[in-house]
Amino acid sequence: MNRRLARAWPALLWAMLLAPVGCRREANRRPLIVIIIPSQDNPFFKAEGDAAAAKALALGYRVRVDAHDDDAYHQDNLIDAAIASNAAAIILDNAGADASIAAVRRVTRAGIPCFLIDRAIEADGIAKAQIIADNDQGARIVAAEFAKALGAQGGKYAELLGRESDTNAQVRTGGFHAVLDRDPRLHRVVAQSANWSQSEAFEKTETILEANPGIRGILAGNDTMALGAAAAVKSAGRSGIVIAGFDGSPDAIAAIRRGEIRATALQPAVLIARLAVSETDRFLKTGSTGKPERQVIPCELVTEANAADFQNFEKVR
Amino acid sequence: MTPVATARQGKRSLRASGVRFVLFLLRARAILVLVLLVLMFSLLAPEFLTANNLAILTKHVSITAILAIGTTFVILAGGIDLSVGSVAGLGGMIAGLLITQGMVINGVTHYPSAFAAVLAALATCLAVGLLNGWMVAKAGVAPFIATLGTLYVARGAALLVSNGKTFPNLAGQAARANTGFTALGQSFFAGLPLPVWMMLALYAIAAFIADRTPLGRQVYAIGGNERAARLAGIRITRVKLFTYLVSAFCAALVGLIIAAQLEAAHPATGESFELNAIAAVVLGGTSLMGGRGSVTGSLIGAFVIGVLADGLVMLGVSEFWQMVIKGTVIVLAVAIDQLQSRIQARFLPMLLEEQTTEGA
Repeated sequence: MNRRLARAWPALLWAMLLAPVGCRREANRRPLIVIIIPSQDNPFFKAEGDAAAAKALALGYRVRVDAHDDDAYHQDNLIDAAIASNAAAIILDNAGADASIAAVRRVTRAGIPCFLIDRAIEADGIAKAQIIADNDQGARIVAAEFAKALGAQGGKYAELLGRESDTNAQVRTGGFHAVLDRDPRLHRVVAQSANWSQSEAFEKTETILEANPGIRGILAGNDTMALGAAAAVKSAGRSGIVIAGFDGSPDAIAAIRRGEIRATALQPAVLIARLAVSETDRFLKTGSTGKPERQVIPCELVTEANAADFQNFEKVR
Repeated sequence: MTPVATARQGKRSLRASGVRFVLFLLRARAILVLVLLVLMFSLLAPEFLTANNLAILTKHVSITAILAIGTTFVILAGGIDLSVGSVAGLGGMIAGLLITQGMVINGVTHYPSAFAAVLAALATCLAVGLLNGWMVAKAGVAPFIATLGTLYVARGAALLVSNGKTFPNLAGQAARANTGFTALGQSFFAGLPLPVWMMLALYAIAAFIADRTPLGRQVYAIGGNERAARLAGIRITRVKLFTYLVSAFCAALVGLIIAAQLEAAHPATGESFELNAIAAVVLGGTSLMGGRGSVTGSLIGAFVIGVLADGLVMLGVSEFWQMVIKGTVIVLAVAIDQLQSRIQARFLPMLLEEQTTEGA
């Protein structure tokens, strides 16, 4: 018995190797859409990738989701692989506004339409569409809510910035200050980059609270940093500090419901992903998206009052 | 000779040829794995075995291969170079700085030619290599620590060059007479991308140095037994310096190729490249203890890593599984390496004995 099994296993192995070939023949007739997102382990990008994939599958496409980990060179390789796989279209959340131009141009030269979501590039006329969330408007509505929460007495606040090389970090802090700097009662006493990271925000906030005990608010460039700040405030035994973030992540919305974070701006990632897929579909069928290249989708303010309306980067109610 | 003895000898020789066959398989494992992977991906992904994809694949491999060729020398001499990824990043940033921002001399901005920018980047990276070599060979800092230090220093320096920003538009401007940089990564020669030719040229030179020159043999000697090499009159400091310079040169080349491909220099370029390079070297059968291995092995190792990476992406295997599979392949390769040495040690007397009886 044992010996027979031993003789059979190479055949079994080949059968296992070859089995998918049969299945793939059928699938190969359907056109392939390659979706490239920054990472698979971040809830925002995961929701974005899943939404795009689900929509494309529903429209009858084959789908592949890759992640470039914010590495422009890795992104380049993934794009090469997508071109080599004869993709019908590429939907890309890119790895850098400057560093991605050459890659997007290569896709277009290969005759493959490229649709950018979430992040734009510093060039027009190459991608078929650039659909992004309105980070400036989102930052302004969060800042207005933040100022309202600090109340008439105003006071000192700290700002946690995103990664300084990231365009969105600059746009968001610009939006925050367009609102807050007009208010003479508000003073930003410290601003530091926590590189979008929760643990870094935790450590920075601990230090900031130590150095500036009079702080009444912390404004963070994204939800991950806001959550890090909230944890640091909690562990320092402080209360009454107003914290606001950006993105609308499920964790942040849960923290809003618990009262640990005051507000966030929900980036409509799911909506944008679906829009990109339906425009891709229209382009592949009619040769045009019927929309301008640059499309800006407004963000939604999330507070305790409406926190139940949002789920996984999507307004459900 | 009695019939019993003949039968015994026949049985033994059969066993010996079996052992020899197994040893052959183990020694050729990297190329066998490569052939197996190519076969598997060709079957599973219809687009894999096309001329277009193979050209793209080889271009991707060239990055890992160039780094691995440089790293091979360091590892053969018993060292390790963790700084190659950061040095690649730094090289790209220096070239990016000179092409897009120029140099301010006496208040006037001069734009050096693309060629001069490349030379400046190479020189900067060689300086880091020199620092590595000096720390290891002269100051006696353990290679792991010394190059871990330069990993951080070079990455920090790359970030400082632009204050964390990306240098875009490396194509240069005709008015500044500094165009041509992007050809380094984007041009083709006889149907193959230029980086592939650079990889082949580097491989030929490196294999020649390692196998045919006294310098190359000295690298092996130092890795095998440094004390014996010193007593044999080998100038250890010089040879070690040479290995770290080669490694830094290869890293700089990779940084420049990537910047030319992307038409942009990003300070985070090359993060964790050192691990890919070391993995390729180890897959190719080079011992991390030094003294044993080959440049050819590293080239094959780089191909294994490249084929695995691109093939899994084309199959649509999830990123998380890709990591698991890559790690498993690396660990298996080293485990088989150990198995090979053990089998060799165990059966060597038998193989030798058989050889002598055959001779008689």
